[in-house]
Amino acid sequence: MPDGSFAHPQQRQFNPYTDNGGTILAIAGADFTVIAGDTRQSEGYSIQTRYAPKVFRLTDRAVLAVNGFAADGNMFVKKVKQRLEWYRHAHAKDMPLRAIARLIQTMLYAQRFFPYYVYNILGGIEEDGTGAVYSFDPVGSYEREACRAAGAAQSLVQPFLDNQIYFKNQKAAAGQTHPTHLPLSDVLSIVIDSFTSATERHIEVGDGLEIFVVVTKGHSPQGLESIRNVQEVTTRADTDRMFVIRRELKKD
Amino acid sequence: MEEALEQPQLRVFLHPLLHPALLPVSYPRDIRPTWSSIMEYNGGSVIAMVGKDCVAIASDLRLGNQALGISSNFTKIFPMTNRIFLGLPGLATDVTTLKETFRYRVNMYTIKEEREIEPETFAHLVSSTLYERRFGPYFIEPVMAGLQKAADGSLKPYIAATDLIGCLNFAKDFVVAGTASSKLFGVAEGLWEPDLGPEDLFETISQTLLNAVDRDAYSGWGAEVYVLTKDKVIKRTLKGRMD
Amino acid sequence: MDHFPTNWGRPRNDAFDPYGTYPIHQRPATKDNFAEGVQRTQQPIVTGTSVLAIQYKDGIMMAADNLGSPPPFLPLTQSDRILSAASYGSLARFKDIQRLHQVGNSTVIGASGDMSDFQAIQSLLDEVVIDEFTQGDGHDLGPAEVHEYLSRVMYSRRSKIDPLWNSILVGGFRDGKRFLGYIDLLGTTYSSPSIATGYGAYIAIPILRSAVDGRVDELTEENARNLLHECMRVLFYRDARSLDKYQIATVNASGVHISDQVHLDTSWSFAEGIRGYGAQTQ
Repeated sequence: MPDGSFAHPQQRQFNPYTDNGGTILAIAGADFTVIAGDTRQSEGYSIQTRYAPKVFRLTDRAVLAVNGFAADGNMFVKKVKQRLEWYRHAHAKDMPLRAIARLIQTMLYAQRFFPYYVYNILGGIEEDGTGAVYSFDPVGSYEREACRAAGAAQSLVQPFLDNQIYFKNQKAAAGQTHPTHLPLSDVLSIVIDSFTSATERHIEVGDGLEIFVVVTKGHSPQGLESIRNVQEVTTRADTDRMFVIRRELKKD
Repeated sequence: MEEALEQPQLRVFLHPLLHPALLPVSYPRDIRPTWSSIMEYNGGSVIAMVGKDCVAIASDLRLGNQALGISSNFTKIFPMTNRIFLGLPGLATDVTTLKETFRYRVNMYTIKEEREIEPETFAHLVSSTLYERRFGPYFIEPVMAGLQKAADGSLKPYIAATDLIGCLNFAKDFVVAGTASSKLFGVAEGLWEPDLGPEDLFETISQTLLNAVDRDAYSGWGAEVYVLTKDKVIKRTLKGRMD
Repeated sequence: MDHFPTNWGRPRNDAFDPYGTYPIHQRPATKDNFAEGVQRTQQPIVTGTSVLAIQYKDGIMMAADNLGSPPPFLPLTQSDRILSAASYGSLARFKDIQRLHQVGNSTVIGASGDMSDFQAIQSLLDEVVIDEFTQGDGHDLGPAEVHEYLSRVMYSRRSKIDPLWNSILVGGFRDGKRFLGYIDLLGTTYSSPSIATGYGAYIAIPILRSAVDGRVDELTEENARNLLHECMRVLFYRDARSLDKYQIATVNASGVHISDQVHLDTSWSFAEGIRGYGAQTQ
């Protein structure tokens, strides 16, 4: 209104949530798991930073990727890590992966009426030595899967993964079946392709890619050590091995 | 003391013509139907891809009434000439209207010019036809694929898409539209590569479409694929998931 | 007699009864601001605009102007709005607001948003710094700790739906390491070689990123100072709620230094030929 007033009474409502973009993804192999996320953090059309990690090491064999509202995500990871430390002090061992998964569901559901606006993907090695991925919705509903994408580019990446990991809509050659698990090199190529594709077509994805690889204790990392920009982050000799691979993504 | 009367609940029939965009501004706010978008009313998706000396265009076969599936043989791709195919995902009633409109306009062009329309010209015909209805649009996002005659007489792949008011997008690789568009973008970006021959292009576009529509509740229920080469048009109907 | 203390001393609502001619019992009921219980911060009142900060070779540098802007009006409720619009002219403007604040020996914070909330945050931090000092254990807070502390305060307040309405930059230099971080009213945090709040995020960030990203170790103190000066100038030209007086904070191995007011020279001669700026000829 020209007189500085409003036609309707103005009520500004504080919104405690925002969306910080980005995408995460995890794929389980027979004896390894790959958990990845881009490193861009944005709000609206602004890039806040080109490097804000979304993938976190929880234990020697568990990695958690969080995506959605960054403040909730960071606080949630902080609280999960705290619970895991308490567990360590009480039981003198790390919490197993399936127990971490249930812990996360309980912690998310505890906030059912003021949820963490976060999509979680937990990846790592199960007690039987198999690779595992657990995916969650913001209020704790979860399941174990072989692969999952979440976040801004979920709709771009997930159908690609259906095709390349689960071989959906593909027929095996006569007398053959599709492999249930892919070798690590194939999985890494698919992960990198997924993120370059998502970067190409989604404005909230880009800048950097951080890939965690967990390999079952005593199993071969299948030539992973010789890959470009790889860093081993294993803390002890008698555990599963953990690696981080960092790659650049387009910054536009 | 007078008791406040409870407002009678008005049942609103969700007819497409009651879409907020079509209603007069004076239409009572509290009985305006609110659904996400008219573009998701019937569902459906189309994709077109460029190959080496060939092009392909493919669509699903679903017709729905929001979440309810109605038909599994609703075709959305129509031949405009021998080497132009047009896909019309969007509001089903407008699919029929536009198909007929373009048949009429292409025929008029052929009669007046005494020659067949070229894909690039046709793309501009589509664009201007839609822009005529700028403030009361057809709810269709057309996708077209064709082979364009070059100066030396050879045929060049041509694909294009527009939004519902005719903004042209001419791409060198692939174009997508419909309710599964974001999924189509994701898969196509991962699978497509330059200079695919007709058979590889067929495989690529089919895999892209099937895997994308399998993640879309509003698309699927079978698919059809056209591959255009310099001497023939190959049409194949694909079996897809029926859930 | 008006029994509501919150109405005392306020100008009469002249839209309803400009000359006080109605009998008292016919006057529209005055509003009690506490009628609905405690009011939480639902909007900023006196605000500060952009804060800019960059990392450079020897530390970090931060800049903020000295303006505290009053709101054009306080649109609280329908009846209040006319009253508030009327009180615009009588509000003071604050031209030497301090928006950079030293915390401990190696940290500086700068804030945009609500200045009263920011001053409450300063008190909070000063108290923490004193508590930490009185422990006498030789430990004190560095920039990373201040950033973490502020993120917890801001996140817990947003979770109570009672936010502190600010975007805060934390910069510092400690144990040979630079630190630059951001926290806002939602509890969102991040670090980057260059950060700006408010309009600075749109106007200054493109300039800062092209000069700083990947070149932090080459950027001298003089380069950094000139860069921020230039960005503050651009902001003064384009941000209506900014001032041509600003301060710059430097944190490096020699400690924290917050400058005196710096004045920006600006030239408006270009405006002469532009319709909408200078005197109109037609």
